[in-house]
Amino acid sequence: MNDQQWNTLVSVIRGEVLCPLPTAFIIDSPWLPNWARHTILDYFTDERVFLEDNLKAIRTFPETMFLPGFWSEYGMCTEPSAFGSVSMWGEDEFPFAKKVLHSPAEVEKLEKPNPRKHGLLPFVMKRLQHLQPEIEAAGHKIRFAVARGPLNIASFLMGTPEFLEAIKTDPELMHRLLDIVTDFLVDWIAYQREVFPSIDGIFLLDDIVGFISRCDCEKFATPYLQRAFAGDVSVKFFHNDAPCKASAPLLADTGINLLNFGTQHTLADMKSWTNNRIALMGNVPPRDVLAEGTPDDVRRSTTEILNALDDHSRLIVSCGGGMPPHAPTENIKALISTVKEWTR
Amino acid sequence: MHDLSVLRTAVIEGEVQAAVAAAREALDAGVEPLELVGEAIGPAMAEVGRLFEEGDYFVPELLMAARATKEIFAILRPLLAQGGAEPMARVVLGTVQGDLHDIGKNLVAAMLEGGGFEVTDLGVDVSPEAFVDAVKKNPVQIVGLSALLTTTMPAMKITIEAFRAAGIREQVKIIVGGAPVTNKYAESIGADGYSETAAASVDLARRLTGTLG
Repeated sequence: MNDQQWNTLVSVIRGEVLCPLPTAFIIDSPWLPNWARHTILDYFTDERVFLEDNLKAIRTFPETMFLPGFWSEYGMCTEPSAFGSVSMWGEDEFPFAKKVLHSPAEVEKLEKPNPRKHGLLPFVMKRLQHLQPEIEAAGHKIRFAVARGPLNIASFLMGTPEFLEAIKTDPELMHRLLDIVTDFLVDWIAYQREVFPSIDGIFLLDDIVGFISRCDCEKFATPYLQRAFAGDVSVKFFHNDAPCKASAPLLADTGINLLNFGTQHTLADMKSWTNNRIALMGNVPPRDVLAEGTPDDVRRSTTEILNALDDHSRLIVSCGGGMPPHAPTENIKALISTVKEWTR
Repeated sequence: MHDLSVLRTAVIEGEVQAAVAAAREALDAGVEPLELVGEAIGPAMAEVGRLFEEGDYFVPELLMAARATKEIFAILRPLLAQGGAEPMARVVLGTVQGDLHDIGKNLVAAMLEGGGFEVTDLGVDVSPEAFVDAVKKNPVQIVGLSALLTTTMPAMKITIEAFRAAGIREQVKIIVGGAPVTNKYAESIGADGYSETAAASVDLARRLTGTLG
C-alpha cells in the first residue's frame, strides 16, 4: 500500500466519510497467481513471479487498495509449518497443512516455535526482504504483520472437527494449546515489526471464530485475539468470513478496528452488532457474484449494498471474504466503478 | 413404558457418556433398538439440527451430539442387524479427490446417522473409482460428495461421470455439498440434490429415498 492508501484506510477507521467511498480487497494465492496466469506453486516459489503478480494487480486496479499488500504467504501452511506440520503442495492447488496433534493430550508435548528459525517463516521474511527495495521503488511499503489467527492455527494443528470437539471435552488442554499458539503469534508479529519498521498494522485471519457460540468466543477466542492484537499499531484488521453474529459484539474490545466478514449478514446488521466501533469491509458475494456473475450482476449487487445502508461511515466496499478464485478483471472493475459512480 | 427423555436430552446436550448410559439403560429395560432410534435418537438429532439452523447451536455442539449418536449406534448396529431391521437407506459419503477437509462431511455423516441412515464414510481425498467401488461392493441408495475448495469442486463432476461410465449412475442418488458448492452448481454437474447445511441433508436424503414422513 502506498502512503495515500494507508492514510485513506486510517481515515476510514477513524470514522471519516470519504468521497468517493474507498474500495479494497484482500488478495492472496487463491486468486492472484491464476489471475496473472501463473500456477500457485510458481507464485509461492518464484520471488519474481510473486512481485510481478502483485505489481500487475496494483497497476491494473489503481483506484482500489489491496490488503495487506505484498502478502508473503504459503496458504494455510505458513504458521502450522513452524510447529512441524507437513506442507502438501500441488502445482496449481492450495497447499494443505497436515495435522501434528493426534489427541488433545499431545498438546502437553507441543513446543512454541521460534519464528526466526522454524518452518516456512524465514522464507516468508526473506522473500519480503529481498523484494523490499523494489516494492518501495514502486511507491509501496510493507504495512502489515500478517498471520492466521490462534483458533485457525490450532485447528490446523489438530484438525478442525477434533479441535472444535476438544474445546468441549478437554477445555483446559485447548486453553494450553491456544496459549502456546498465541505466545508464538505475539513473537511472530513482533519479529515482522522488527524487520519492517514500516509496519503499522496487524492482520489476522481466523474463520474458526465463526463456528463457535458467543459463550465459547468469550472463553476461547477473544482473550487470545486480544493478546495477539495487543501491539501498538494504527490498524488492527481481522478477517472471518464464517458467521459473525456471535463474535461481532465482542471484537471491538479485542482492539480490532477493521473487519472483513462474509455474506451471511448485512452491513447494517454488522454495524449494529459492532456498535459501529469497527470499520467494515464488505460484502458483495465473492463467489456467486464477483467470480461467477456478470459485470451487471456486480453493479446490481454493489448498488443494493450501498442503497441498503443509511450510514456510510467506517465502510470500505469489498467482497465478503478474500478475493475469490477466478474473479475476472471486468467484474472487479465493475465493483470499483460502481462505488465511485454511486458516491458521485 | 421406559422414559426416553433422558436419552433425548443427553444427545441434544452432547453429553456422550450420559447418552450411552441412557441408551444401555433403555435396552436393558426392554426397549427395542428400532424404537430407540425412532423415538429418541432421530428426534434428538432433528432438534439439534433445528437449534443449529436457528443459530442457537454451533459446530462444537453439533459435533458433540453427533459423537453421542455415533457411540450409541456402535451399540445398536449389531442389535439392529440381529433383529433384521433395515436402515432407512444406506449412504456412502466422502470428500472428493484432492480435498483433505472433513468437517462438513463429518457433520453430514452424523446428522444422517442420527436420522436413521446407515452411513459408510470413505474419508477424504476419495477418488471417483473408490466411490464407484464402494457402491458396487455394498449397494447403497445415496452417495454424498463433499468439497471445501473451489479447486476440488470439479472432482464432483468427474465422480458423477465415473458412476455413469460404470453403468451404475441410475442406481444411486448423488448429493453434493460444501462451502463453495451451490444449488446451481449441483444442477450443472447432474447431481440429484444439494444441501446447504448438514442438518438439511437429512430431509434431502429422505426426499430422495422417498422416506420423508
